[in-house]
Formats: sequence, C-alpha cells, structure tokens
Amino acid sequence: MMSRCLRYLTGLMGFAFVLSPASAADPILIGVSLTQSPPGSVVQGMQVKDGMEILKDMVNAKGGVLGRPIKLLYEDNQGIPEKGRAATEKLITSDKVVALAGGHQSSVCLAEIEVAHRYKVPYVNTNCWTDDVRKRGYPEVFNTSPYNTLVSSVMATTLATMKVKRVVAFAENTDYGIGQAKLTGELLKAQAPQIEYKYETLDRSSKDFTAAVLPLRANPPDVIVLSMLPPAAYLAVNQIYEQGVAPSAKTILYDGSGLADYPDFWQNVKEGGKYMLSFALYHPQMKQTNTALDIAAEYQKRSGREVNRLVLQAADSLELVIQGIKAANSTEPDKLIKAMQTMKFESIRGISNFSTKPGYSFQQWLEIPYVNYELTAEKQPIGQTILIQAPGQKFDPSKIVRPSK
Amino acid sequence: MLALDLLVNGLIYGCFYALMAVGLAMIFGVLKIVNFAHGEFFMIGAYTYVLIALKLGISPWLALPCAALAGGLLGWVVERLLMRPLYQGYGSWSLMKDEYAVVVTFGLSLLLVNLVDKIVGPYSFRGPPLIDVTRFALGPIMLTGQKAIAAVVSVLLMIGLAMFIKRSVWGKQIQAVAQNRLGASLAGIDATRTTSLIFVISGLLAALSGALLAPLVNPSPDIGAFPAVKSYVIVVLGGMGSLWGAMIAALILGVSEAFFSVYISYDYRDAFGLIILVLVLLFRPQGLFGEKGRQV
Repeated sequence: MMSRCLRYLTGLMGFAFVLSPASAADPILIGVSLTQSPPGSVVQGMQVKDGMEILKDMVNAKGGVLGRPIKLLYEDNQGIPEKGRAATEKLITSDKVVALAGGHQSSVCLAEIEVAHRYKVPYVNTNCWTDDVRKRGYPEVFNTSPYNTLVSSVMATTLATMKVKRVVAFAENTDYGIGQAKLTGELLKAQAPQIEYKYETLDRSSKDFTAAVLPLRANPPDVIVLSMLPPAAYLAVNQIYEQGVAPSAKTILYDGSGLADYPDFWQNVKEGGKYMLSFALYHPQMKQTNTALDIAAEYQKRSGREVNRLVLQAADSLELVIQGIKAANSTEPDKLIKAMQTMKFESIRGISNFSTKPGYSFQQWLEIPYVNYELTAEKQPIGQTILIQAPGQKFDPSKIVRPSK
Repeated sequence: MLALDLLVNGLIYGCFYALMAVGLAMIFGVLKIVNFAHGEFFMIGAYTYVLIALKLGISPWLALPCAALAGGLLGWVVERLLMRPLYQGYGSWSLMKDEYAVVVTFGLSLLLVNLVDKIVGPYSFRGPPLIDVTRFALGPIMLTGQKAIAAVVSVLLMIGLAMFIKRSVWGKQIQAVAQNRLGASLAGIDATRTTSLIFVISGLLAALSGALLAPLVNPSPDIGAFPAVKSYVIVVLGGMGSLWGAMIAALILGVSEAFFSVYISYDYRDAFGLIILVLVLLFRPQGLFGEKGRQV
C-alpha cells in the first residue's frame, strides 16, 4: 500500500515537472548561427560572438531577464547557406530557442530567414546588408544591420559631391557586393547622370586581381569604389596600389564596407591603405550611449583591441531580443514578435525606430549613423583619421588629402 | 602594351602555379592517386614562413628554408602514417586504393585547415617580403619586389628539380618507380624509400610556393583551396603524372587566364581553368603531354 502511494506520488511529481513552465533558474535560450570556421568570414563571426558574449555577461551579472539568465547557443554555419539553414532548423526544433540573432553574411541570412519564417520564430539580422532580406517582408525578421540602400545612397551622394567624371567599382560576387555596386550605379545615375559609372565583378575566392586592374593603368578613373569584404578586399587594395593605379594624385580609392574597422586590416594592407577614403559605421566621435561605452571598455579589456561597429551591432541585436522579452513579459515567440514590433526601446547605438514601410526598409532601423573618413598614415587608429564627413554633417571634399603622385 | 603586361603577369603566375603543381604530378606519377591535401602543404608553408618571420622576427630569407623544411617533414609524416597501407603489405587495400586515398587525403585536408584555424586563428596575415620594394617599373610593366623575386626563385627551383630528376641517382630511381614499381624493386631499388622521397619533395615544393606567395596572397587557414584547384587543372592539362607536362601546362594556364579575364570576362576567370579541365577530360583525357593508358 505504502509503495503504491509512493509510486503515485512520484508519478504525479514527474507529470507536474513535465507540465510546469520554465523555472526561475532555467536559462532563456537564444540561438546564434555564425561563421566559426572557413570558408565563410570567421573574422566577422568572432566579432559578432564577442559583442554578444559581452552583453550577455553584463545582463546576467545584473540578474538576467525576467529573473532568468540568458544562454546563447552557437552553431557554426561556415558561411554556407545550406549549413545556415540546417543550423537554424536545429536551433529551433531541437534546442527550442526563443529567438535567433547574429546573422552576418547576406547569402546565409537569406537561407536562414526562410526557416525562421516557417516556424514563426523571431530572427534579428545583425549584419546582412542585402536589401532582399527586408524585401521578403517576413514579420519574424528584424533588421538592426546596415542595409545596402543606405550605403549605396551615401556613396552615390559622395561621388556626386566630389564632382568626378569617371568611376569604376569592383564588387565581390556575392548578394552584398553585386547588390551594392548595382544600386550605387542606379542612384548615381539619378543624382549625377553626367558621371560615367561601371562595375566589374570579382570572384571573392580569387587571389589575383591584377588582370582586372591592368586595363585601368592606361586610363585611370577618378574614383575606384570597392564593394568587397576581407580577405579578398585586402588583396584588391594591395594589387590596385602595386599597379600604381590608386590611391594616386589622379585616382581616389573609396571603400564601401568600412575595411579599416576590421582588426586585421593593417596587418594585411600596408602602403595601399594610406589615403584610402572609407565609408564607415563606427567612429569614436559618434554619439555613444553608456552601454556602448561599457561594451567598448570590456571589449578592449578582453581582446586588447579598439571596439568596432560589428561588436556593437552584435550587442544591439541581442539587446533587441532582451528588450522584447521584457516588453512581452514572455519568451513565447509569437508574443515576442508582437512586442518587438510595437514596443518603444533605446538601442545601444541610440537608434529607436523600426520602419514598417514595405521594401528595403521593412522592419529596418533606418537612421543608422555613418561617417566618411580618410586614412592618412599607415597603422592609423580610426580615431586619428581625417573625418571628411562627420556624423550628421555633409561630405566635405575639400578635406580630402591626395598623394603627391 | 596591355597585352605585354598580361603576358608577363600570366607567365609569373604560371611559374607560381608550376611550383604548386609539380608535387601533385609527381605523387600521381608514382602512386596513381590524387593528394587532396596538397593545398594544405601550401598553407603550412605559408603559415610557417609568416609566423617565423613575423612573430619570431627572424629574417624572411631564413624563414623560407624553414617553411620548406616544414613542408618536407609534413610530406614525410603523411607518407609514413597514411600512405604506406596503399602499397605495403595490405593486399586487399590496394584494390580500393582510390577510395582510400580520396577519403584519407580529404580528411587530412579538413583536419589541417581546422587545426590551423583553432591554433593560429582565422585572421589572415600578410607575410613580410623578401625585399622591401613595394613597386617598381620594368619598362612598361609594374612589378613588386616580392613578385619578381618569387618568380626568379620559382624558375630556379623548377630548373633544379628538372636536373635532379634527370641527372641524380635518386631522380633516376623516381623515374624507375614511376614507370614500373615492381620492376624497379626487382632491380634493387627501394620503392618504399623512393615514395617517401617523392612525398618529401612534393611537400617541400608546395610549402616553398606557399612561403614565396605569402606576402602576395595574405594566407588564412583556407588558402590551400586556391592552389589545390589550380594544381588539379594543371596536372590534368599537362598529362596525369607528367612532370614536364605540368610545368608547361602551368605556364599555359597562367597566360590564358590573364588574357581570358581581360578580353572575355573577369567574372569567370577561375571558372576558365575548370572549363579547360572538362574539355581536356572529354577530348584528350591523357592531357597535352601524357600517354594513353593501356590495360593488358
């Protein structure tokens, strides 16, 4: 009799345990699919991870969210869309994450958002620039990342302001590179139709771009625009310089991806980086929130390096999920999505409004701060570069310094 | 003038390709297997050079032989541990040597890439140049000091290898084992030791080419994919296992890639090599300088 009672009691307790909601100590699981091994951009993956880890530790040190700690579950997608799709599927169905964040390569994001959309789980895009991620109009996808339309319109305005005659762009053969180069051309045509613009697609896995640069030696353009990411972009900068094409007295080299922001920039690009003009999403002179300053200090402590935009973007995308959970007072994905669409919040970079307009701006932070600066010495820290366009100011071409030959 | 520029740059890259590919051709010539980890020998050479020169501050001229040594050592270890089952005492294994070689060398390739990624990190490094001349004009052609030196060293190495194979006793043993392993053994040649030597030479050349190109291609853990793909194309184009064929095919590929990318399309520059690969396999499977296989 006694043993039967005990059996019932144990059974009831087990049943109650299965049915009970997550206990106060249970961590909130957030999935992060990023590149941790080649062939994708491991450098970007590491920075995204660093930014998220710092913010997670800061939040957990203050007691977590809804009294529960945050736990980040990482999956390595190697920068391959199929692997990203599988990683997202696993994180949602097997690990039961409440949201996903950290996507940093456009082609992978495009594959992953399909899975998030199918399971109706919130997906925060950390660094996928291609407009197509927004154009699909999925309510689960929130974009704290920069976007190609922003970058291309800034670059087109810059080129128009410089009053140049001929521009050649080198774009890597990815959704990001081709998308940015095409769009810059279209926007430039609308703003300054007299400027001759053409772009050349380069294979990002290639190691030799000399053949693409050689035809420019006889007839150098006024500006060479780079829509490329490391490591291919570093090789392109070196080879353009080695052929004597740019930066030169005649030709400006204009980078559209904030190359100097990457921690390995100066160890890969030496003289070729001097006098390079760069569109960038981080500069110490930008307005910083207290959280951003804390993250910058912690990043410096942990890595010994100056903070960069990708670390802050990553922290921002996790911050959005955290504030969403607080606003929804729940970790249910559908409630979380609703809260993230309607709540008022303050991001780490001081941006607060999502646009709901369809197209490239759907669920996108529109007012992402940017600058244009010029590197004027080798190994120059970003804080010491010349700001050709300070945050919130107009581009001033008279500040551009050119090499003597 | 553009054509001259393209010809010179194409020939220079052809020399680099040749240095990468001859080791692969030699291994195929003797063992009739494709080494899928060949690109990682290149990567090990590049990293050894960069780390010794940058982190230890040793002269790049001393880092170069160290890289060659590391590649040779890796080749020797791979042959001892992974390749011997193919031809020594494992009768049934030799029946499925193609499958074994593919699996083991492909696995080794993944292992080496991920080991370097975890131990050294994912960041790419630009190796220090052998001479500090960023750019100079040679008539109408613009070159870097490193490119010029690397091209000259590559040509000298190719000439040295050709003389070694043709004149030295070891070279003659390699030729004998490549022609008929059993026959060479019956004539008193130690085929096992000769195979070991081929792996050492193959590793050494690939690593040297990695070290010479390290200041030009900024090595990262996955750098081996680029020389590997080029080498496969060259080996097939030149004739599987033909050393001379590989050297000439490398120059042809370097020059034709340069012209193709400017006059036809830069987008498909690297695909061009693969188109050549498919065409050669379809219409002349023995390659430009290979012989048709016969089965008796």
